Amino acid sequence: MAAYQYLIDHFNEAPLLIQTAWAISCTLLLAIVILTLYLKLIRAALRKKDIETAKFREDYESTLIEYLYSDSEDGDITDHQIAIIEKLKVSVHIKSKRKIIISILYNLMNEVSGEMSDSIKLLYFKTELYNYALKRLENKNWYIIAKGIGELTRFKIEEAHDLVKPFIKHPRLEVRKETQLYMVNMFRFNGLSFLDELKNPLSEWAQVQLLETLQKFDDQQICDIKPWLKSSNQTVVLFALKLAKMYNQFEVKDTLIELLSHPIKKIRVKVIEVLTSLYGIEAKEMLKANFNELSLEEQISFFGLLEKLVVPSDEPFIEKHLFHKNFEIQLLALKILKSINLDKFMGLSKSPKSRGNKKILKFVTNT
Amino acid sequence: MTKKKIVLAEDNSTLSLLLKFRLEKEGYELLMAEDGRKALDLIEKETPDLILTDIMMPFVSGLEVISHIRLKLDSDTPIIVFSSAGQEEMVIKAFNLGANDFMGKPFSPNELIIRVKRLLN
Amino acid sequence: MDTSTVKIILQILHYLFFGYAFAAITSYIILSVISGKETVEYLKKNSFVNYKDILSSTMSPSITIIAPAYNESLNVVENVRSLLSNHYVNYNVIIINDGSTDNSLEKLIEAYDLETVDFIINEKIKTQPLRAGVFKSKNPAFEKLMVVDKKNGGKADALNMGLNISKSKYVACIDVDCLLLENALQKMIKPFLEETNVKVIATGGVIRIANSCIIRGGKLIDVNLPKALLVQSQILEYLRAFLLGRMAWSRLNGLLVISGAFGIFDKEIAIAVGGYDTKTVGEDMEIIVRMRRYMEEKNEKYKVSYIPDPLCWTEAPDNYKIFISQRNRWTRGTIETLKKHRKIGFNRNYGSFGMLSYPYWLIFERLAPIIEAVGIIYFAILVILKEVRWEYALSFLMLAYIFSVLFSIIALYSEELTFHQYKKKGTGYKLVLLTALEPFVLHPFILYAAIKGNYDYYFNKKKKWGVMQRKGLTSS
Repeated sequence: MAAYQYLIDHFNEAPLLIQTAWAISCTLLLAIVILTLYLKLIRAALRKKDIETAKFREDYESTLIEYLYSDSEDGDITDHQIAIIEKLKVSVHIKSKRKIIISILYNLMNEVSGEMSDSIKLLYFKTELYNYALKRLENKNWYIIAKGIGELTRFKIEEAHDLVKPFIKHPRLEVRKETQLYMVNMFRFNGLSFLDELKNPLSEWAQVQLLETLQKFDDQQICDIKPWLKSSNQTVVLFALKLAKMYNQFEVKDTLIELLSHPIKKIRVKVIEVLTSLYGIEAKEMLKANFNELSLEEQISFFGLLEKLVVPSDEPFIEKHLFHKNFEIQLLALKILKSINLDKFMGLSKSPKSRGNKKILKFVTNT
Repeated sequence: MTKKKIVLAEDNSTLSLLLKFRLEKEGYELLMAEDGRKALDLIEKETPDLILTDIMMPFVSGLEVISHIRLKLDSDTPIIVFSSAGQEEMVIKAFNLGANDFMGKPFSPNELIIRVKRLLN
Repeated sequence: MDTSTVKIILQILHYLFFGYAFAAITSYIILSVISGKETVEYLKKNSFVNYKDILSSTMSPSITIIAPAYNESLNVVENVRSLLSNHYVNYNVIIINDGSTDNSLEKLIEAYDLETVDFIINEKIKTQPLRAGVFKSKNPAFEKLMVVDKKNGGKADALNMGLNISKSKYVACIDVDCLLLENALQKMIKPFLEETNVKVIATGGVIRIANSCIIRGGKLIDVNLPKALLVQSQILEYLRAFLLGRMAWSRLNGLLVISGAFGIFDKEIAIAVGGYDTKTVGEDMEIIVRMRRYMEEKNEKYKVSYIPDPLCWTEAPDNYKIFISQRNRWTRGTIETLKKHRKIGFNRNYGSFGMLSYPYWLIFERLAPIIEAVGIIYFAILVILKEVRWEYALSFLMLAYIFSVLFSIIALYSEELTFHQYKKKGTGYKLVLLTALEPFVLHPFILYAAIKGNYDYYFNKKKKWGVMQRKGLTSS
């Protein structure tokens, strides 16, 4: 007690700076103690949740499979299935369990098709998971809305179309993106109509996702992509170019050739690539004629085109660029020459005083 | 008659459970592996009559499983591979390595049963 | 000198130290607040992301994993296998055997059925020449793999060889002894694809410590807290650095370093700046600074991104000797990089890079150990002169200590509320205890290593210019 009193007195007599320092120290120490205790609680809660999640997962996985296999012959819902639905319904009201059920359903939805995926979708409605997803759309937090749309997309819920559609103009990019994906998932190429008036850039990530979605469908009936190729939004043009390549759009060749003089280099380079895969021989003479005006990237891309679409009459052009200062063009030129005129190539490789890179020459000779 | 043995290598637990259920109902014995390494162990130990394997699996890929069965074990056990969209190239490689059939995900379990039966009879 | 002058000098030093400590603490507080904000934003953004399309799409951009290996024969076969099983379609793996003197190459040839192939390298960056050549597998199952055997030139040189060979748009530079989780590439490529207004030039990942963790078949089975205090302390240190520090700097777009153990780069820019610098021991920091400088000078909007998910696990030094030499190397790397690019520091032309990141690194990373050492000497002199006012000294020491503990606890919170990797019962208690011990277990050695690094850099020329052979991270 005396020691305590001594400390108090000492503290009271100390200068203000020291008093402040100790006061802060004590406050922080208190904070540490409280935080430590709370950390313990958090950890315990997390551990418990992990164990429960694992248990529920196992439990619901088998329940779900039971449900899927208690189908009656004529496709009607059996009593056993109704009982399972009732059981699931109870759990769906609890957020953490709902999450688990959704993830299991989704895991399967991704991998199975036909009658089984219809069956899962039916379960999604019957257990009222659908209503929860709709509720998310009304949330004021953008990321909850995005999550809700994502879920509706994954379970292919066309029924929510009218409710999802307005979000295509949402201020948050992420929400707009999820909405675009939803539209394409439900309506394929028709869902791409948002591109017509898209002002904001379409990220590479969004493009890949959209293309993947489109590829999933068996019905590959593509719409007219010309307007997008002519879009003032350069990311839309780039996206349309990918579509042209993926769906072999020979009918847009003329538009592509026009695009060879697009102001943006990245687009011009891509156009050459697309023309390569579409056998755009028409572009060849044009590009040859103003080869020297092209940027290096376009030149390389053009040699890529030549590699695929070369004819013997291109030989003089190739010969002119055999010793191009760029490594890749030199390599391609030699390869092409070898493929169209082996004799001339061999003569070149034997000639001791040829100007080009010896290593490239040797490599092309050997391969 | 003893049950025919099938090894199923698939890392999606729900799907493998579903298929196990379905195939067992058809009277097969199912051995499960959640990655390629386990699948190879099972195959060497149990010499199954049929192998179902996903292409993209952790650590030892489906392709490696096939190449191991065909080249190292020199066995001609029928193999069906599962692939996802965008893995067409891998499917071609799988066939080159000696896979017998493939199913693109998402697939219908009923269709799988038909293909399994065809290969086992 | 009369006593009053001494007094004045002491007084000035006093205020300087006080000011420095105050600034450091303030910066920590600001950084934790920013990192908190950024973490919440990151979690929100990622709560609904569907990676499945990206991983399986052939349209997603190509990535090359470049992994230099030097005398890693013990684990190289297993490590390569784990690199080959990442969940991403469009990628390949180049192992650069950097003049290993052991049988790494033979082991790889045997395990993966390798054969030499004709190959031509466009030597955009000058490197040491090939030795046994370029190898590919005869087995189509290993089509993604390429092994390049070259003369020894150090880690930077090996990475440069990889940059020359790669045909991908992006390169992932990693240490071959790292364990990459199978979703690592999908997650790390996301920032490059997401941004539309700025160019992402690189993305850095978190390094987690794998000591005592159970790894089977290239997969992380179980995360454990190691027994050794040294390793435990490094775990805490990494949590602080990655979850608080880097997260905050990434929000400020001020990251100056991406761990050499795992980072993805835009290949075109990495080559445009001339690749890795083979003359420094801190090539991982140096290349980022150079790439940033390049972008600033080109006046293009850019960003160095950061992904906080635990995707890359590696062994940390488990004895003080290796630990000290590692930190010594890091210190020299920092000094070299900052010195080489000193033009940037306090230069308005480089925007926040020159006015904020660089100065921060200089003052609170580069100079911190020196200031601390001077502080200790100063204090010792005061003790000798009996000039110490103990009530001040004690109260401020206490305050600094408690603050550092609190800061560590905040890092623990950040971990628990986000990635929660140390799940086992009883670990939480150990981690909290560690926050109190770490200042004594780890910090003195870091300080010692840093001072030694400074000494070696300025006075031990042999070490500075000696051939830098790459050592395996740790041989456990």
